[in-house]
Amino acid sequence: MTFRTRLLIAFAVTVVVAVAFVGAIVSTTTQHAFEQLDQQRVAALAAQFRQEYVRRQREIAQQVKDIAEADSTRDMVIALSRPDADPSRYVDAAQPLAAAHNLDFLELVSATGSIVSSAQWPARFLYQEEWVKQRDDWNSQEPFLKREELPTDTALALISVYVLTVGDSKLYVIGGEALDRDFLASFVLPAGMRALLYREPQSIVSANGPLPQTAALAPLVDALRKQRREVTRTVQWTADAASAETFHAIPLTGPAKDSTGAELMGAFLVGSSRAAQVGLERFLRRVEILVAAGGILLALLIAFWTTARITRPVEALAAGARAVAGGDWHTTVDVHVGGEIGALAAAFNQMTRELIEQRDRLVQAERVAAWRELARRLAHELKNPLFPLQITVENMQRARAAHPEQFDEVFRESTATLLAELGKLRGIVGRFSDFAKMPHPQLETVDLNSLVRDSLKLFEAQMQAAGVTLRLDLAADLRAIQADPGQLGRALQNLVLNAIDAMAAGGTLAIRTAPHEGGVRLEVSDTGQGLTQEECDRLFTRYYTTKAHGTGLGLAIVQSVVSDHGGKIGVRSEPGKGTTFVIDLA
Amino acid sequence: MRLTAWLPLAVLSAATVCGAATRPHYGGTLRVEIRAAPAALDPAAADAGPLVSLVFETLVRLDEAGAAQPCLAVSWQHDAAAKRWQFNLRPGVKLQDGSPLTSAAVAASLQSALPDAAISAAGDALITIRANHSLPGLLLDLAHNGRLATGPFRATAFEPGHRATFAANQDYWGGRPFLDVIDVQLGRGLHDQLLDLDLGKADIVEIAPTDLRRASSQGHIVWSSAPVSLIALSFGPAPDRRLREALALSIDRATMHTVLLQKQGEATAALLPQWISGYAFAFPTAPDLPRARSLANALPAAARTVTLTYDPGMRAARALADRVAVNARDAGLNVQVSPQNPRADVRLVEVHLASLDPAPALAGLAAALGLQAPGAPAASTSAESPAAFYQSERRLLEGFRAIPLFQLPVLYGAAGRVRVYGPQPITKLGDWRFDNVWLSGTVP
Repeated sequence: MTFRTRLLIAFAVTVVVAVAFVGAIVSTTTQHAFEQLDQQRVAALAAQFRQEYVRRQREIAQQVKDIAEADSTRDMVIALSRPDADPSRYVDAAQPLAAAHNLDFLELVSATGSIVSSAQWPARFLYQEEWVKQRDDWNSQEPFLKREELPTDTALALISVYVLTVGDSKLYVIGGEALDRDFLASFVLPAGMRALLYREPQSIVSANGPLPQTAALAPLVDALRKQRREVTRTVQWTADAASAETFHAIPLTGPAKDSTGAELMGAFLVGSSRAAQVGLERFLRRVEILVAAGGILLALLIAFWTTARITRPVEALAAGARAVAGGDWHTTVDVHVGGEIGALAAAFNQMTRELIEQRDRLVQAERVAAWRELARRLAHELKNPLFPLQITVENMQRARAAHPEQFDEVFRESTATLLAELGKLRGIVGRFSDFAKMPHPQLETVDLNSLVRDSLKLFEAQMQAAGVTLRLDLAADLRAIQADPGQLGRALQNLVLNAIDAMAAGGTLAIRTAPHEGGVRLEVSDTGQGLTQEECDRLFTRYYTTKAHGTGLGLAIVQSVVSDHGGKIGVRSEPGKGTTFVIDLA
Repeated sequence: MRLTAWLPLAVLSAATVCGAATRPHYGGTLRVEIRAAPAALDPAAADAGPLVSLVFETLVRLDEAGAAQPCLAVSWQHDAAAKRWQFNLRPGVKLQDGSPLTSAAVAASLQSALPDAAISAAGDALITIRANHSLPGLLLDLAHNGRLATGPFRATAFEPGHRATFAANQDYWGGRPFLDVIDVQLGRGLHDQLLDLDLGKADIVEIAPTDLRRASSQGHIVWSSAPVSLIALSFGPAPDRRLREALALSIDRATMHTVLLQKQGEATAALLPQWISGYAFAFPTAPDLPRARSLANALPAAARTVTLTYDPGMRAARALADRVAVNARDAGLNVQVSPQNPRADVRLVEVHLASLDPAPALAGLAAALGLQAPGAPAASTSAESPAAFYQSERRLLEGFRAIPLFQLPVLYGAAGRVRVYGPQPITKLGDWRFDNVWLSGTVP
């Protein structure tokens, strides 16, 4: 990962973390504020409901009492108390009374519990209302909730009962109002809030009528049934979070019928939409994202500006270092910044300059050393054939002078010696000439194992004479390589020759081939006296030899061939433990 | 003059005024309102209603006891087998167009009413009716069929469904009626009629049994026919027989009759009223809730629901339908009441008796309730015994396709200024006899 990328990531992470942190704080604070406001509004609406409920209770009780205490009702009781009473006269009495007193329900029930007249269900005349006879203290009872059966459904009603007693006769006046959409419509609701009425078993109405979809409220209703106290739940109507609505349910109970307590008749539900809160949260989130995006963009700009001042010079330095490592020591870094980076660039340039100078000095020194070595070797090599040449010519001179009769024989022997030594001289010159004008390898597909076997055939007699044992370890799965078989063969021959020369008292010559890193490896090992580390370091220097005789070009030629084939050559050796040459070819 | 001379004169004047107030006099327009809205003033039409009795007459009419009295025929005789009848026509009777009534006209009119009989006219005053079978109820038949336009009033204007106006027939054989004009508003609802009567905008209106007490308390006169309207539940083809029977057994007729109908008419489980058949009591009317519940429980839950419809214009229809639904709940049936629903399973209907003769009356009721094909004889002829009629009626009702509930009279309320010189102007069958009606307070 580049410095620029790391810098960019660092800036971006900093911005995002900062924005997220601030956004979280704002969201939490906003949510808390909304919830507080919501609780206040719900509490206010619940208080409004309780007030309205109590008000209606009082109103209904008063209306029922007024009906009961009206003269017409009293007359009715008196008429019904007679033996020949005809209750059918009053079968229609309840409806106008109910209408006049704004009651949704009104029943006039005789002392026997028989309905004289029913406003909400006129056809139920003379049916029994047994429940009303179960108490005598209705006049002191508060209005209560009751399920009222109607021709087509069941309603939840707030009912008051008043017993009118005239002499020994009495009449039950049962009146009330329905808790329905009209009841809900009487509430003043702030924006985003609504009131619903849940009626057992499974009816939910709003001020606009029955709610079409109530499945989402089922958990709230279940909690209400189990706990029989005020509960709060959040309901999500659709997959959109903005559709969520928090409901606070106030249970509505009727009179207790048995030990299980008051019966749950329904509940007043106050709904508070979370749309505004969700909308604000979404807005905040959008702002957060925009700020974060802006921050990241700013981070990018800063990063680019920063990298222009920091990483580019560093990259230039890195590129320069790579170039130098690749061999281009003339590389300089063009950096015009101050501070540490500038000092580093200047130091780099200084370094390359000094490296070049040192390399030049070293090259020159090596050249001088190589020339000295070449001169020494030439002197050494040439001295050998030149001395016999000189002796032979001097012999010829002496023979001509002293024994002219033997001169022809001496001349023949001497010329033979002269020709032989001239041949050696030509050989020496030829080796130097070969090394000087070694051609570029002509690559072709070569089976290295075959090349090894072919090359070794030339040395069979020599090895036998030297007491050298050959050991071949050639890999069967060796792949063919692209090589110049002539040059490679000559390089191998040089190594074999050197190995044989190193085992003057006999030994083992081991040649191994094996696949290596996608290419091939050739190892030539001997069990000679080995080399020191210094000798290993200087082994491939031209004209360097450890042999008493030789031009010292053999290993240089091997190295040159291996280098021309794009390979590597190395040596492992320890004094007394033999030497192994390792050639890796691609 | 001295004060003592003035006193007898004052007494005499007072007596004259009082006498004039109670003595009928001519003049005035009688304002009548009815629910019916016939399309035409045709005595043969099923929806003709009581209007035709103002204009058309028959050979005989029935008195309060149901006995035939002379009308266009002054006398009649028949053979022992009652297969041959002769009627002597009243002389001097004129048709509404002023032409004299002839025996040929009477014969032609009777032929359409008695297609199976041979009717011949002899001279101007004799009609002979011959049949291959006995015609013991011919007089009852002739009290309603074979109408001729010789009535006390003649139609002067007719707006179908809206208004009909009749003027006194100056040449009426029974003497010019007291009233000058009868103005009848058609298609008026019962509630509006009663309101108009209370407000003085109408003189004679129809009254529902549920409004009887109120009409009386307002000081109106109430006239009633005999129980001639059958209130019944009539089923369509679908509901299960067990459901029909369960519903029939759940209905508490007595309470409805007492409370809703204010004891007008009679609760019944028979098609013909007691006063015609004499055996209506043999059809039990008391509910049997245990059996009704048992039948209802045998039905699948979905099959226990039935829709009941009624005509809102029918008397006491809504109250009766709601009460039927309440009674049915006790049996475990769910009766959903909806007015004017053509797809309802059962209808609450009111069918008016077409004749006092049991055979055609039963046939008419059976046809109206869909108990048999129209035109087919219900059971038998009038010659059959009551026992045979009873069996016929039993057979018609055994499938509970029709559940008779009540036999109701036709009720009319009249304003205080309406007076009658003679018997009440509503006949036993509910026809109008307004030739003896006069209005007090009108200037002669």
